[in-house]
Amino acid sequence: MVKFTADELRRIMDLKENIRNMSVIAHVDHGKSTLTDSLVAAAGIIAQEVAGDVRMTDTRADEAERGITIKSTGISLYYEMSDESLKSYKGERNGNEYLINLIDSPGHVDFSSEVTAALRITDGALVVVDCIEGVCVQTETVLRQALGERIRPVLTVNKMDRCFLELQVDGEEAYTSFQKVIENANVIMATYEDPLLGDVQVYPEKGTVAFSAGLHGWAFTLTNFAKMYASKFGVDESKMMERLWGENFFDPATRKWTTKSTGSPTCKRGFVQFCYEPIKQIINTCMNDQKDKLWPMLAKLGVTMKSEEKELMGKPLMKRVMQNWLPASSALLEMMIFHLPSPSTAQKYRVENLYEGPLDDTYANAIRNCDPEGPLMLYVSKMIPASDKGRFFAFGRVFSGKVSTGLKVRIMGPNFVPGEKKDLYLKSVQRTVIWMGKKQETVEDVPCGNTVALVGLDQFITKNATLTNEKEVDAHPIRAMKFSVSPVVRVAVQCKVASDLPKLVEGLKRLAKSDPMVVCSIEESGEHIIAGAGELHLEICLKDLQEDFMGGAEISRSDPIVSFRETVLDKSSRVVMSKSPNKHNRLYMEARPMEEGLAEAIDDGRIGPRDDPKVRSKILAEEFGWDKDLAKKIWCFGPETTGPNMVVDMCKGVQYLNEIKDSVVAGFQWASKEGALAEENMRGICFEVCDVVLHADAIHRGGGQVIPTARRVIYASQLTAKPRLLEPVYLVEIQAPEQALGGIYSVLNRKRGHVFEEMQRPGTPLYNIKAYLPVKESFGFSQDLRAATSGQAFPQCVFDHWDIVSSDPLEAGSVAAQLVTDIRQRKGLKEQMTPLSDYEDKL
Amino acid sequence: MELEANYEIAPTADFIYSRNFTRVAIQFPDDLLKDSTRVVRALREQLRSLRKCSTEKNGDSNKDVRLFVMADTTFGSCCVDEVGALHADAECVVHYGHTCLSPTTTLPAFFVFGKASISVSNFVEGLSNYALTNGKRVVVLYGLEYAHSIKHIREAVEEASRLSQSKSKSEIRFADVKCSVMNPSDDHNNSNGLVGPASNCTDNSTCGTRPANSYSIGGLTWSIPDGQRMEDYLLFWIGSDNSAFANVVMTFNGCDIVRYDATENCLVTDVSQQKRILKRRYFLVEKAKDANIIGILVGTLGVAGYLHMIHQMKELITAAGKKAYTLVMGKPNPAKLANFPECDVFIFVSCAQTALLESKEYLSPVITPFEAMLAFNRGSQWTGEYVMEFRDLINSCPVEVRNGSEARFSFFHGGYVEDFDLQEENGGEDNEGTLALANATDKVLQLRDNPKSVIKGTAKSGPEYFAARSYQGLEMHHDNSSPEPFLIGRSGRASGYENEKSKQEEL
Repeated sequence: MVKFTADELRRIMDLKENIRNMSVIAHVDHGKSTLTDSLVAAAGIIAQEVAGDVRMTDTRADEAERGITIKSTGISLYYEMSDESLKSYKGERNGNEYLINLIDSPGHVDFSSEVTAALRITDGALVVVDCIEGVCVQTETVLRQALGERIRPVLTVNKMDRCFLELQVDGEEAYTSFQKVIENANVIMATYEDPLLGDVQVYPEKGTVAFSAGLHGWAFTLTNFAKMYASKFGVDESKMMERLWGENFFDPATRKWTTKSTGSPTCKRGFVQFCYEPIKQIINTCMNDQKDKLWPMLAKLGVTMKSEEKELMGKPLMKRVMQNWLPASSALLEMMIFHLPSPSTAQKYRVENLYEGPLDDTYANAIRNCDPEGPLMLYVSKMIPASDKGRFFAFGRVFSGKVSTGLKVRIMGPNFVPGEKKDLYLKSVQRTVIWMGKKQETVEDVPCGNTVALVGLDQFITKNATLTNEKEVDAHPIRAMKFSVSPVVRVAVQCKVASDLPKLVEGLKRLAKSDPMVVCSIEESGEHIIAGAGELHLEICLKDLQEDFMGGAEISRSDPIVSFRETVLDKSSRVVMSKSPNKHNRLYMEARPMEEGLAEAIDDGRIGPRDDPKVRSKILAEEFGWDKDLAKKIWCFGPETTGPNMVVDMCKGVQYLNEIKDSVVAGFQWASKEGALAEENMRGICFEVCDVVLHADAIHRGGGQVIPTARRVIYASQLTAKPRLLEPVYLVEIQAPEQALGGIYSVLNRKRGHVFEEMQRPGTPLYNIKAYLPVKESFGFSQDLRAATSGQAFPQCVFDHWDIVSSDPLEAGSVAAQLVTDIRQRKGLKEQMTPLSDYEDKL
Repeated sequence: MELEANYEIAPTADFIYSRNFTRVAIQFPDDLLKDSTRVVRALREQLRSLRKCSTEKNGDSNKDVRLFVMADTTFGSCCVDEVGALHADAECVVHYGHTCLSPTTTLPAFFVFGKASISVSNFVEGLSNYALTNGKRVVVLYGLEYAHSIKHIREAVEEASRLSQSKSKSEIRFADVKCSVMNPSDDHNNSNGLVGPASNCTDNSTCGTRPANSYSIGGLTWSIPDGQRMEDYLLFWIGSDNSAFANVVMTFNGCDIVRYDATENCLVTDVSQQKRILKRRYFLVEKAKDANIIGILVGTLGVAGYLHMIHQMKELITAAGKKAYTLVMGKPNPAKLANFPECDVFIFVSCAQTALLESKEYLSPVITPFEAMLAFNRGSQWTGEYVMEFRDLINSCPVEVRNGSEARFSFFHGGYVEDFDLQEENGGEDNEGTLALANATDKVLQLRDNPKSVIKGTAKSGPEYFAARSYQGLEMHHDNSSPEPFLIGRSGRASGYENEKSKQEEL
């Protein structure tokens, strides 16, 4: 631990070339927090007066209890490099002192929104991969996200200790599996070739891959060994590094390097010969307590042990020896300092991803140059509950300028549109705060390139926002974060005592703030809904709500609710017509399903209402086979004007059509939000306006006549086009040994899941299973799976797609009809669907 | 004669005669309209006979009383249609059928509730059984059409409890009908506007000075002893599941409520549907908070204090930084309200029993003034308390001081939403003078991102909404000066024009 005062820390914060903002990302249980702990133990900055505090990152009681990280936690590390080791550093630097702002993120997929929030405010990522389990689904997801944000990754192959102690694999075998891990990671990274970011793949021989044992607190990069051997072999360090990886073999008998194994028993791969074997030897010697052999070996390596450490036996001895020989902190921190970018380097290329406005205005330039004298640009990525109940710190990163106590800032919320005044506030920062361990220290100001917590803005920021100076009225906001998970699992909450409702409302408000992903909303029926990414996420949210945000007031929760979507299978069986209430206007419409992939394209924002019509019609014509002219006749998208349904004008030569367009659009927005089956959102339906008969007097074809009629005709066309329900489906990834497979299959079968990929991990007895599982069936899935496989299988579920419920909801007694009835009942609607005859009129 | 008893011909004639009214409007709901001629004939005969005997006695020569039948009222038929009555220059109104007993503004009124039959013994049995098992104190409320038999019921209940004295401990109270004569509320201090003598009071004790914790709803009054709360009581309702009952359920949503259906002779204990309505109203309040443009629907021109209410609503809405439009409209329906798509929410100012509109079919929700107060008064919270009659609202504290410290959290957007204009009101006064013009031009010259999309709830005023519409009125093609070719229009009826008929036959 490094003891600092706030002033000392603040001084280093000005050295923008010497700052590294990085996050630790990985699959669940690959050892992020443990690894982080060992770094913190060695280099964590704590306030002068607090000392000897451990487990810095898992601060919540439930995190410790469950053994998983739930919230991402930031921590600052200080590392002073020696001049000698910086000799080969080519980048800009300012002295030898380095400040590393590290964010430990959760690995469980339910909390990956925390990872997204962490990535936004960092420039580099330490990807941790279990050397046995390899690259898993969540590793892949977070890596994708990182690269999408232009975050440069470095890799550490973790849990090396398992190779030596548990599995006792020999050198060549270990090398192959490490090689495989790195290769797999590189395959993912290669798909994100980005000219500005350069080559993001990792290479052990370039020092961008470390090998670590977080639990034992040691780690190395090939640099460590290359340094050791370079002088011995009389070659350059970088040359030596290359020899320590890949197809380079050394035969001590002949003292010759070859690029192929000569077949002689003494000829071994460089890595095995010079890295793996020595470690293995030391570990074995320690474990067997052969102290007489050990001391000379250590002396040769230049490792000194304190006298009380010499008394240790077995595993503790091994741990201590390894920590002294290959301390994790120096290996990893040096790797980060060497290979991860400083804010000033990173913001040069990240500005494109970050800034929404024109890339040549003052704000873009200030971000690009990481200019402390420029206008303030600060992105608040999350809200952290403060110790006084109900208040939050706004936590974020300063991209340019300085934020100071008392500064009046412009808060641009997620719905802010430049030039308008919606979602915009002018408020003063009460305090700027930095963290020193668990203690918060108030500082005068924080310059760009650093993370900061702000007090006094929490009543105007829900989850995230862009802050700038008061006078910078033409600044555009920083782009909103894009999450890889979506809140598909919902529960309705209610307070047990009716008079607690104000408490519940307040609690929900706080909950919505405290988590980047959770959505607190209200249903038509008046129920409060909490939506989260998964069962575990919801469980944590409910616990937080009750205990922290509502002061323990009792709440009752419903069973999980899954939201469905309504779609159609076919084109409407006929052109349907509805008459306006005054019978003087008629709308003719047809519904048809959208082309495959179109709904997803709208979801992704590739096609939307704000597109240039020319671009849109080009995409529609080329990818979805639309007629070019037709593509220009899209009236609107919906629901909420951006949803995956649309109205297309197919009329020819109709009078006054433009006059009723707004009314039809209003009716469509309404209808597409509450479909005819169960008032769920519609999805993937294209409504074609075929013909329109209107009254000659404008007053008789006003909104009052047309809006309700448009809604009715849309329902009628939906009901005649083989309406179907869509249910959300998870992609489940399970990793388990062979003997657990039977259990997994039986649980999946019972839950309507189906396996579409089963793969054995090379070199391990583990299988990787990928399956689709309806979200509706996923409740209790983890427990069932654990029970059926005696705890050997652990699933990760991510929302993947919408799947059609094959049965016909209009046919009484079918599964879908039952679903519709259930939903209607829950919503307090009439149990029977409104029949088609109420929507369709006859001439 | 049944008609005379049912329509209370004799008391009505007495009322008219004793007050010397010469022009009387009689108001029927649609379902009783068929009896109107017979009622008028009977009334006229009764009045004639009254006059005859009085002229015999004192020799006065009274003028003939003119009766006017009114039907199809502009607003709800439960309220006295004063405007309609004034058209006939009437001096008083006789109202038949279901009524909300809302106080009138200008005219005195006489109410005839009608008499529905009820099996007293059956009811008493049901009541005492239920009250016994429940063990709570009971207040009996009833639809006004059962007011005539309450006396019998009360006696029967007392009789029954005397018989089974040992068991019955539960206390049963009965509500009273305030009166069937109503004078306009000229005295503003008396908020409920009831001064007339209680001609039909079944109990004298409550007339006069009312104890502090007395309750009144829809023409019923009752009181409970000091130190007890309404929540401790079981409400027993006699009557059908109509708007009066809904009113009771909403107002006393903390109480257990049992309904005795007199026509079916059965107890209905499940009122979850009504509770559901309450939650739904809560949802509407939350939704109204997000509204920018509000339509005030004037749904009554009779109920005392309606003008005051409308003004109060306007003040409230302006203070909340939103825009209000006042619309006078009889019997709102979805088609009528959809003519104002720019309104995000409507406030329906009307009598208590017509105020609850289930607005599922409506493009925008319709809320009551009480709900509007919850929604637009910053800092007020939904506690479960519910007020339907707006004369109770008028007295409640109006616009509070905004603390303005926190932005408003919307459950529809899942985050903070706030109107920037509001913040300016608090802070930036400097914009007023020198910069006003610059600011105005700033707004005028704003580049709109996408003028095509009309999203509800984004526009701040009517003109802004219209500016965002894709259709802005007739398109003038100045370049095209040649006249349009002559076209022959459609002919026939709207149910199917001539050219369409033929098309249909071809198919």
